[in-house]
Amino acid sequence: MTELPPTNLPYLFAAFAVVWVVFFIYAAYMSWRRQSAQRELDEMRESNGQESGSGGNDGGG
Amino acid sequence: MAAIAGRPAGKASWQRGLRDARLWLLLITAVLMLVDGYLIFMVAPTDAVLGHVQRIFYVHVPISILSFLGFLICAVAGIGYLIRRTERWDRVAHASAEVGVVFVTLALVTGIIWARPVWNAWWQWEPRLTTTLILWFIYVAYLMIRQYAPTPQQGRTWSAVVGIIGFVDVPIVYYSVQWWQSIHPKQVIGPEAAEGALEPIMAQILVFSLVATLALFTYLLLERVALRGIEDRLSQLRREGNTD
Repeated sequence: MTELPPTNLPYLFAAFAVVWVVFFIYAAYMSWRRQSAQRELDEMRESNGQESGSGGNDGGG
Repeated sequence: MAAIAGRPAGKASWQRGLRDARLWLLLITAVLMLVDGYLIFMVAPTDAVLGHVQRIFYVHVPISILSFLGFLICAVAGIGYLIRRTERWDRVAHASAEVGVVFVTLALVTGIIWARPVWNAWWQWEPRLTTTLILWFIYVAYLMIRQYAPTPQQGRTWSAVVGIIGFVDVPIVYYSVQWWQSIHPKQVIGPEAAEGALEPIMAQILVFSLVATLALFTYLLLERVALRGIEDRLSQLRREGNTD
């Protein structure tokens, strides 16, 4: 084991930070879009006078 | 319309089950990722030459491998779509291409961050980096074709073809470090990895990271497929609303 060059640590931090921020934003964005699309779908069905029959969620793909 | 309104209860309960499975998968992924972080920062030995920055490898390698998996699924689902012409295949192809692009983008970014202290340069036009960048362009083009094709039908067909042909670049990326002079480290995992390329503890942590990242990949893919399913039903209702 050698003494670590201190300048390496910011790169390590940057790499992990970028990965986690991107994954978090992507997952949160998808979840937000899914909820918003689901709401819109439920509203359209209600306005068409149709019962979804599924408890209102279509998240099965 | 009638098909949607009159959906059988069995399908609804299957969808609820799938939603619950996604939530469980998210929970399992979070736990795996926390353990993975502990292993990477507290257990993995520090590289004698590269120092702490070598730990980037534990995210960079799994992310790269799973981007390949995403493009493999995209190519297979693209073939399925061209044969069957069903929405289900197209949804899987689209979702896996998008998730694959996110992963390959992160593979490029983490590679660039690793390269700066190790190669003293952010970027080198060497075979592994260049072929990976080409892979990124191919699948970004795939997503753009879907968006900008004259009709959705054409977008699905053309993107399926791009997804299949584009996959040819994946083995080229993998073997690039052997086929050409490359300053990129040689493979540490897969058929061409050298025996003992990694210390056993490093190899074990890498495998754990791969499993944790696979859980995350699966969660994101299922979530994206589900979103596409809702978007498709919305589009269908809008079309039917316009024709009524």
